[in-house]
Amino acid sequence: MYICFMYSNELVKGTLKTIVLSLLAKHSRMYGYEITQHVKEQTGGKIQLTEGALYPLLHRLEADGLLLTEKVNIGKRVRKYYKLTKTGSETAGSLVAEFKEFTQTMGKLIDSFIYKPQYNV
Amino acid sequence: MSELSEQQVALISAYIKQHGIAQDELHDDLLDHVCTSIERLMDDGKNFEDAFEQTIKLFGPGGLKQVQQQTFELLTEMNETMKKVTFLFGLTSTFLLLAGTIFKLQHWFGAGLMIVVGAGLLAAGYLPMVLYHKLKESPSNERLVHVAGYLGMSLATVGALFKIMHWPGAGVMLIAGLAFLGFIYVPIYYFKKYQTSVNKPITLTTSLVALTCLVVVFALVNVNSSVKFDQGLAFAEQQSMTDSYTDRSTKMYVALEDVSAASDIKSVSQSGWQQLEEIKIHLITTAEGISRAEAQTMPLAHMGKKYNYDIPTHILFGDEGSEFNIGAIGEALRKVDDGLQGVYSEEVRPLVNSSLTADLSIMFDHNGQSVDWETFHFYQRPLIGVIGHISKLQIDIRQAEYQALMYLLSQPAASDPPSGG
Repeated sequence: MYICFMYSNELVKGTLKTIVLSLLAKHSRMYGYEITQHVKEQTGGKIQLTEGALYPLLHRLEADGLLLTEKVNIGKRVRKYYKLTKTGSETAGSLVAEFKEFTQTMGKLIDSFIYKPQYNV
Repeated sequence: MSELSEQQVALISAYIKQHGIAQDELHDDLLDHVCTSIERLMDDGKNFEDAFEQTIKLFGPGGLKQVQQQTFELLTEMNETMKKVTFLFGLTSTFLLLAGTIFKLQHWFGAGLMIVVGAGLLAAGYLPMVLYHKLKESPSNERLVHVAGYLGMSLATVGALFKIMHWPGAGVMLIAGLAFLGFIYVPIYYFKKYQTSVNKPITLTTSLVALTCLVVVFALVNVNSSVKFDQGLAFAEQQSMTDSYTDRSTKMYVALEDVSAASDIKSVSQSGWQQLEEIKIHLITTAEGISRAEAQTMPLAHMGKKYNYDIPTHILFGDEGSEFNIGAIGEALRKVDDGLQGVYSEEVRPLVNSSLTADLSIMFDHNGQSVDWETFHFYQRPLIGVIGHISKLQIDIRQAEYQALMYLLSQPAASDPPSGG
């Protein structure tokens, strides 16, 4: 899947749900294009969500009861805003906490592996 | 800020639908996404055509269709609970079927229940869930093969269940199920595997082994029904013997008109004979689905189910409380035997070797194993054999009746009414 241009697919794949839920936790409601643009701007283009990854996930999260949609008519087309349900915001909180701890742990682990030999030289 | 015209939106909408997005919700999402993206690009000075092209490119090589496929997969993905349930169904049904088979072989209590529940779980629980999973996994051109495999496996499972429980209809289901598996699923499945296989000889041999196993099962299922015997001759013989005994007995009844023992003989043998006749009629009406009157006149050779052995076994061994159970046959014969023994004097009684109960003893099958007479003559025997043997027992009754009448005639006092003696 075409999630980003900068990092490997494998790396970002597992974090996609966390990214979307935490974004929606910060903003009361967002539509699909807005989410992709937001991620792009916030990461300086290092992570770019593609439609092929985003919309399937949004639909799955809606089916799982984590998201709600609001439809707004814009001219001839409908814009769907996504927002968190109660379960959704709880899940967002726990996913973000888990991910933060994960990055810290990974940071410690990677530091001890890679940077030490350089200091020895 | 640019805003697309109604025609442009309609154009994009048509494009999305044309590229295989059948789902309305997803269509709305993608339409808004593409429109917004184009509007932003136009804000940056691009014209509509360029902006459109650039936006569509972002969907990747799989295009719009892939977005829908991905959505569908995510929405229908087997969740953890389903995986666990499938696993549990598979494990439980296999365990129950194996345990049930062992219990059945050992004639322990509860075998039937285990096999029914096990096969039910397999056919209605495990197999549909595996099919669901397979259908999701595989491209659309392979789906029919999986459906055929599923149909074959569930029909074979239910057929085997019916067979073990001696319920009617087992043969048809087993044959249909094995045909699905043998002619559609296994060949296509293994052909596909063969094409992509690294080790072709192994794949080829496993597919041959799988086919051979199916053929062996198929042959084993059918071997029972291929029992043939010279029915025409056997039944003509039986008929002429019955006629001859009835003929001679009728004459003797005339001679013994006033002897009460003679009318006892008549009533006891007639009731035993009739009881067996009722069982025969029940077997034929059930197997053929015809009326009682038709069953009484239809020649055995004309019966469509004459080689069916499920129905007679089910009727005779299925329900122990039924009046058509195998026990009723033995009971009828013993009753006639008891009734006729009373005719003979104390001294003669042990000498009269009753042909009626001689049959009701341990027999030896072709392997030299001892089996009871019920199993030997009636268990898993074709309808034609079962009816034939009951007819033979009816002749035995006629013969014993004749023998008793002969004895009565030979007694000097018997020709006088007992009251006059």
